[in-house]
Amino acid sequence: MKKDLKQIQPSRRSFLMGSSALAAAGWIAGTTGAFVLKPEWAHAAGPIKMGIATDITGAIAAGGNSCWQTAQLAVKQINDSGGIMGRPIELILEDTASDPGVAVGNVRRLIQKHKVDVVFGGITSAMREAIKNPIVKRGKTLYLYPQLYEGQECTPHLYCTGPTPFQQCSDLIPYLIKQGNKRFAMPSANYLWPQLLNKWTRRIIEENGGEVVLEEYFPLDQVEYSATVGKIKSEKVDHVFLTIIPPGLGPFGKQLYESGWQNEGGTISCVYYDENSPYYVEPYALEGTYSCLDFFHSVDDAFSKQLTADYNAMWKDTKFFFTAGAAATGMYRGIKLYEQGVIKTNGDLKREAVSEALDNISVAQGPGGPYKTVPGTGHCAMNMYIAQNKGGDWNIIQSAEMVPPEECA
Amino acid sequence: MDEIIKIVFDIVSFSCIMVLIVSGLAIIASLMGIFNFAHGEFVLLGAYTTWLFQESGLPVWAGMLAAPFIVGAFGFFLEVTIIRRFYKAAIVAMLATYAIGLIVREIVRPLIGGRFYKVSEPIPGLFEIGDMSFSIWRGVIIVLTIIIMTSCYLFLTKTNYGLKIRGAMENPALARTCGISTAKLYAFTFAFGAALAGLAGALMVPLYTLFADLGLRFLVMAFLSVMLGGVGTFEGPVLGSALIGAMVPGFQWLREIPYIVDFLSPIFSEVLVFLTAIIIVKIRPQGLIKRGRI
Repeated sequence: MKKDLKQIQPSRRSFLMGSSALAAAGWIAGTTGAFVLKPEWAHAAGPIKMGIATDITGAIAAGGNSCWQTAQLAVKQINDSGGIMGRPIELILEDTASDPGVAVGNVRRLIQKHKVDVVFGGITSAMREAIKNPIVKRGKTLYLYPQLYEGQECTPHLYCTGPTPFQQCSDLIPYLIKQGNKRFAMPSANYLWPQLLNKWTRRIIEENGGEVVLEEYFPLDQVEYSATVGKIKSEKVDHVFLTIIPPGLGPFGKQLYESGWQNEGGTISCVYYDENSPYYVEPYALEGTYSCLDFFHSVDDAFSKQLTADYNAMWKDTKFFFTAGAAATGMYRGIKLYEQGVIKTNGDLKREAVSEALDNISVAQGPGGPYKTVPGTGHCAMNMYIAQNKGGDWNIIQSAEMVPPEECA
Repeated sequence: MDEIIKIVFDIVSFSCIMVLIVSGLAIIASLMGIFNFAHGEFVLLGAYTTWLFQESGLPVWAGMLAAPFIVGAFGFFLEVTIIRRFYKAAIVAMLATYAIGLIVREIVRPLIGGRFYKVSEPIPGLFEIGDMSFSIWRGVIIVLTIIIMTSCYLFLTKTNYGLKIRGAMENPALARTCGISTAKLYAFTFAFGAALAGLAGALMVPLYTLFADLGLRFLVMAFLSVMLGGVGTFEGPVLGSALIGAMVPGFQWLREIPYIVDFLSPIFSEVLVFLTAIIIVKIRPQGLIKRGRI
C-alpha cells in the first residue's frame, strides 16, 4: 500500500530527472521538404531558380508568410510579363521555421539540391547570420535580405533591401524633438536590433538637443514592467522610443497606458509598427503613436497603391498583409532588384556578374517609391515616411526621398 | 504615499496572476501526483477561447465564463483517454502531458496564424488614487483571485467531496473499499485543475497578448512555485506562487534604490527570481508548507 502511494507521488528528484529528460527531448524538430512552384511556361534554357528561405512556421510565421506570398506575387508579375530576358522564374521555398538551427540544413538544400541562382529571405538578424554562411560563403550564391534591421551587414554578395537605422531615425528623431519632446526613454528587448538601433538613436537624440533618461533591456517575453513604467512617469519622460517586441510588447504597452502617462501627454514611437499593429496593440495604446518605415498602405503613390491592391486580390482574406514591418516590401524590392540586375547582365546568372550589376542600379517603381543601391554598400537608398496612428490608420505626416542607408561606407 | 500604493498594487496584481495560474497546477500535482506539463496549454486554451468569443463578436466576459467549462471538459477527456493510464509511472505521465501540451500548442499556433492578438478587457479603463492611476481590470483580477482561492480552499477542506478527494489521495485502496470511485474522482480533479487553468488564461490574457507560447511563458515560473511551496498541499504552491509573483515586479522595483540599480539590470533581476527560489528550495526542501491536511 505504502509503495503504491510512493509511485503516485513523484519526489523532487524524479521531477528533476523528468525535466532533464524533457530537455534532452527538446531537440526533436520536424524536417520539411522544399515546396517548388514551377512557372506555367518554359524556356529552352530552363527557368531561373529563386530560393526563398523564410519562416513559414514557428514564432514569426506571420512575417514569413507575408514574405512568401509577396514573393509569389512578384514572381507571378514577372512571369506574366514574359519572365526575365525571356526566361521564366521557378520559386523554391524552404521553411526556416523561426529557428536558425533548423534553417541551416534547409537552406543548404536550396543550394545543393535545387541549385538556386539566388536566395531571398530571413527575417530576424539571428536568421540572417545563420543562413548567410551556407548561402553566401560556402554556397557561393547571391543573397538578398529583406527586413528592416540594425545595420552593419557588409558581407559581399549580400544585399539588404529593407531600411537601416539611419533611414528609420535620421528624420523621425529631429521631427519628434521639434514637436517639443526633450526627454526620451528607450525600453528595449534584449537582442541585437534594439541595441544597435538605440546607439544610432541616442546619437541623433543628443545631436539634436534631446536627452536619453532611460535605456533598459528586457528579456523578449518579459511580463512585468511596473518599475520601468513607474520610472518613465517619475522621470517626466516626454517620449518613449520603443523597441520591445511581441510578446513582451503587450504587457508593456498596457502598463504604460495604465499608468496614465499617455493621458498626460506622453508620446510613443516604434519603428516596426505597421498595418499589423492594430491586431496586437490596444487601440488606446496605439492612438497617436509614431512610426517611420519605407512604406505604409496610405503612401500616396499610384504604383504602391496598385501593388497593395494586387496583393490583396491574389491573397483574398489573407491574415498576412503586405507591410513593411513584415519584410514584405523588402522582399518585393529584392526580387525586382534582382530582375533588373539580370537584365543588366544580359541574362548572365553568375553570382559575380549579377552582384556587380546590383552594386549600382536604380528601380523606378517599388513599394513606397523608387529605390536604388548605393555602390559599394550592399544597401538601398529609398523613400522614408513618418506616420502617426489615428483610429488604427497610419497618416503620413512627413516623407523624405531617397534617404541614404549610411552603412558599409 | 501614492507611489507606495502603486508599487503594492503592481506587486499584488502580478502575484494574483501567478496564483491563478498555479492553482490548477497545484491541485493536479498535490492531489493526483501528476506534474502536468500541458498546464501552460490549458492556460493558452482558456485565453484562446476568450479570443474566439471576441473574434465572433460575442462579449469577452462570456468567453471568460465559458473558458473554464470548455477547458475543464477538455481536461476531463484527456484524463479519461490518456492520463489515467500513467498513474503508476509519474515520469512517463509527465512526458505524456508534455506531448499533449506540444500538440495543443502547435495546433493553436496555425489557428491564430502564428500571430499576436490583443484581447480587450471586459471592463476597460482606469481609476485614480491621488496622483496615481490604476487599471480597473487588474483590480478585478485581485478580487476574483481572492474569491476563487478562498472557494477552492473551502471546497477542498470543508465539503464532503473535498474530503473524498483527499481520502482517495491518501489511501486509494481504502477509499475504494469504502465505495468511493477513485477513477471518477481523479477524472473530476484533473478536470477541475484544467478548468482553473482555463479560467486563469481567460482572465489574464487581456493584460498580455494572445500567442501560441503564452502558457509556456508562465509554465517554468509555475513549476518553480510548486517546488517552492511544496508538493502535497494546496496552500503550499499557492503561497509559493504568490511569493514568485511578488518577486518578479518586486526585484524590478529594487532598482529604484541607488547603487542597486548599477548592477541589477532588468534581465538580472529576472534571473535573481530563480536564484532566490532555488536558494529557498535548498534551505526548505520540504517546501514552505509541509505535506499536511490536503
